[in-house]
Amino acid sequence: MTEQKTPKKVLIIDDNESLRTILGDKLIASGFETLGATDGEDGLKQALELHPDIILLDVLMPKMNGWEMLEKLRQDAWGKSANVIMLTSLESTENIAHAMEKGSYQYFLKTDCDLNEVVNQIKTKYS
Amino acid sequence: MQPTHPLKKHLAVSGGVILTLCIIFFILYGTLRDRFMNPGRYAVGALPSAEMQFFFISISIIIVIVLIGYIAYLLLTAKTRAELWVYRETEHLVYSRDQFQRLYDEAPVPYITLGENGEIREPNKATLRFFNAVPEDLIGKNLFTLEPEYEIPRANQLFEYYKRNIPINREEIRIITKKGTIKWVSLSVFTTKNAENSKKRTGIATLFDITEQKQLDQAKTEFVSLASHQLRSPSVTIKWGTTMLLSGDIGELTPKQNDYVHRIHTANEDMIDLVDTLLNVSRIEIGSLAIDRKPTNARELSEGIINELMPQIIQKNIRIDAQYNNYLENINSDPKLLRIIIQNLVSNAVKYTPDGGTVTITFSESERDKHVTVTDTGYGIPKEQQDKIFTKLFRADNVRKLTNSQGTGLGLYLTKSIAESLGGGISFISEENHGTSFTLTL
Repeated sequence: MTEQKTPKKVLIIDDNESLRTILGDKLIASGFETLGATDGEDGLKQALELHPDIILLDVLMPKMNGWEMLEKLRQDAWGKSANVIMLTSLESTENIAHAMEKGSYQYFLKTDCDLNEVVNQIKTKYS
Repeated sequence: MQPTHPLKKHLAVSGGVILTLCIIFFILYGTLRDRFMNPGRYAVGALPSAEMQFFFISISIIIVIVLIGYIAYLLLTAKTRAELWVYRETEHLVYSRDQFQRLYDEAPVPYITLGENGEIREPNKATLRFFNAVPEDLIGKNLFTLEPEYEIPRANQLFEYYKRNIPINREEIRIITKKGTIKWVSLSVFTTKNAENSKKRTGIATLFDITEQKQLDQAKTEFVSLASHQLRSPSVTIKWGTTMLLSGDIGELTPKQNDYVHRIHTANEDMIDLVDTLLNVSRIEIGSLAIDRKPTNARELSEGIINELMPQIIQKNIRIDAQYNNYLENINSDPKLLRIIIQNLVSNAVKYTPDGGTVTITFSESERDKHVTVTDTGYGIPKEQQDKIFTKLFRADNVRKLTNSQGTGLGLYLTKSIAESLGGGISFISEENHGTSFTLTL
């Protein structure tokens, strides 16, 4: 009997519910397990409690934005090495540089990326 | 000082001469008359004969006539006329100077006379109103040091231009007023020779207040930018949703459903393109178009674009002739921006070429430049409208009438602006009903 591989847990933090659902469904179809949060505060709480394998993080969100959340996450012993991917529509060199500075390893522009492209890249890198 | 009228001078001289001549004449006449009336006082034969008297009187009259003629001649001589001309011109000059001074003082636009080192010498009333200052607050200060700290490098650059006699033409810069308010101005400075010392220079600066215009532009651009961002987010949701449906990940669609979702997906892609175009236009207008140069393969970009346009190319039975010639495969450019340019040129060529036509893409290099030429056998641009082709929202009449043609009139405006931002340019030749050839120079 072959050993069942545990699916990787992806936490999607985005205030756009439709986008969260679609991305979640696509990730599930690609063999991931997903969690969802609507803002940075909820996302940080879930991340620190559930230790997901990958965090997909939007920037412009209510309560706590993506930058603040990332900064707080990096202060945690587990969080400082968590895999964070920024997934936002903010496209400027400064934003990308800021993300790298804050310790996000990848930056996806929602408008530029195809859904399949986002999921394939996650699959290639983290499966 | 008002000049003396030259006629007055000449009339005075002429009057003097006539008076002198009259005195001489009367002395002469008196002598003759004395000899005639008192013949005993004079020796016999000393008396003038009647002929002699006639002779003297005639000579006197001739002298007077000659003198009067000479005076008249003097009055009309070239010298006098020249003096008259100088007088009239000087009068005009004085009048013009007064008029200019009045215009300078009362003009609604701030004018500033500058010294050789950029120091303010004579601000007009509008300048004082602009700075909310009195003359003493400004006179002696260097115009190029009245800018806020973050404008100092630019102000220094403009000062350098001024010192090197390079005209400053409508340069936009921010200036601080006496109250500390920051205003946007369109600054122009031209230099002239100093009236007192031809080796020194004087500058005349005009400050055109464009603060309100800038604020309006900023508000408009921010609105477009915000609106575009707000439109982009739902577009992404639609795009990803239709992608999911079409991929079959959440169940297979019937052929009819597939067709409908495909149409939604395509329409949404068009909307994303339009929003992106609007965003780029607003970025160009606000001056925030970021350029990220890196090694770029223009051939790959072009091939990708042709692939994207393949459905239309096939549908219209258009022949694509790509002559890349191994050029432009490794250039230092911004791939995203270069893609926008090539995409616009190729998609326009496909869009505005009738069925069965040909679109040729040629890459070439000269000693200094690299070129991308896109030529079509399409409808062409009417000659009388060719000068407007890069104007925002312009669409040529002949393509506007085409029922199947959709366009925003922003593509070529954007293409030209981006090409210029990349340090290049774009040119074209076109003949109606024969085709158009656009050349991008990098």
